[in-house]
Amino acid sequence: MRPSLDIDGLLRGKGLHGVGGRSVPWWRLAVILLLAGALYGAVMGSYGGLPAQSATSAAKVPLLVVIASLVCLPNFYVVNLVLGLGDDFRAAFRGILSAQATFAVCLASLSPITALCYATTSNYHMAKLANAAMFALALLGAQQTLTRHYRPLIASNPRHRIALLAWPTLYFFVAAQFAYVLRPYIGNPEFPAEFLRTHWWGNVYVDLWWSVRGAF
Amino acid sequence: MSQWFSNLDRLLRGEFTKKDELQGGRVEMPARKLILAAVVLGGVYGACMGLYSAMGGREHTGWAVAATAAKVPLLFLLTLLVTFPSLYVFAALANSRLGMKQMLRLLVAAIAVMLGVLASFGPITAFFTLSTDSHGFMVLLNVIFCGIAGMVGLAFLNRAINAVFPGGAAGAIDEHASADERRAAAEESGRARRIVRVWLLIFGAVGAQMAWILRPFIGNPQLPFALLRPRWSNFFEFILNSMGDHWR
Repeated sequence: MRPSLDIDGLLRGKGLHGVGGRSVPWWRLAVILLLAGALYGAVMGSYGGLPAQSATSAAKVPLLVVIASLVCLPNFYVVNLVLGLGDDFRAAFRGILSAQATFAVCLASLSPITALCYATTSNYHMAKLANAAMFALALLGAQQTLTRHYRPLIASNPRHRIALLAWPTLYFFVAAQFAYVLRPYIGNPEFPAEFLRTHWWGNVYVDLWWSVRGAF
Repeated sequence: MSQWFSNLDRLLRGEFTKKDELQGGRVEMPARKLILAAVVLGGVYGACMGLYSAMGGREHTGWAVAATAAKVPLLFLLTLLVTFPSLYVFAALANSRLGMKQMLRLLVAAIAVMLGVLASFGPITAFFTLSTDSHGFMVLLNVIFCGIAGMVGLAFLNRAINAVFPGGAAGAIDEHASADERRAAAEESGRARRIVRVWLLIFGAVGAQMAWILRPFIGNPQLPFALLRPRWSNFFEFILNSMGDHWR
């Protein structure tokens, strides 16, 4: 797998995926993201032992990463232009793509741990908690790649620090809602396997607000 | 066989994990022989551990000893299997000098160190098995021994891994580097160490959970022999519930 996709190079920011390289390895990044995301999705959806849920989650995890990025990119492009960083956008975009692929690889590497958690608990809340922890760890990994790509950009123009902060903030805001819309991923065994919940239209932040109000 | 153990002896003396070799991204050790030695050593400790179940005059005592002898090395090797992908990915993100094969060799070495230390406790475990009938005491003793072996192995791994990151403990920052480069290298090294510490916690947690799946090891004399106990709850729920019951 190394010579074709060069996952090791992606993680180290070297080789085909080297920081500041001239050509962007588009299809390699896309294939890594799709394969690694699908692998984690398949494991994530295996909690209830329903193959259909595994299959839908395998499709949804890469979908979540890709579509949330596409939704955020126009705004991020404008932010870069407003900050006077338009000339560096190609390098910034390369960093974002690499970070998304790294996120998927980190998730895939954590999938045996998720599988172990599923194998030893029948508590659905514990399964949700385990997945939340894996996503948090994978986000840290992705941030490492993004920071690596941004280091030379910040050295050339310190305004890139704002862009580096803007992307994760924007992405997290959108991805949380998108993840909410695309649920279920784990598949509560008390409900049938389905691609989307029938009452899928909703807002994660409004629900969160009502949950907090309800708790007090 | 003697060659396996001479390799283990060299490993424990640190001959396979010299700083200059690790800094060069090299981990030269006979990994297959070390795995075989680790399996034998784990089996020895497992047999000493399972001896307790053979003391009560129960049925299938031979199977109980054999099962524990097989389960101890299996516990460590399965934990390695589950945690290796994430360690490799996060170490590569932190710019580790080790490739996948070298990282795997290093982990095998850490497992061999753990099982070597554990096997050295084997005679003490066997002695207490023969001289006490308290199941609770034997559980506690084995938990302490496994905890010590785990910590020694993880300390070995931590020391070795520190040497393979740029600007790690061995201070591999180029002396001609500028102040900014030194600061960047120091930041990267600090981040790498934090990653390793998080991973060590994950390794410990997965190991504890794996032990929970593979239980029983010691064998409660009140219960009949079983290769594996029914799967209910998990290690952490069990600990929390036990603490809750204790303090209620």
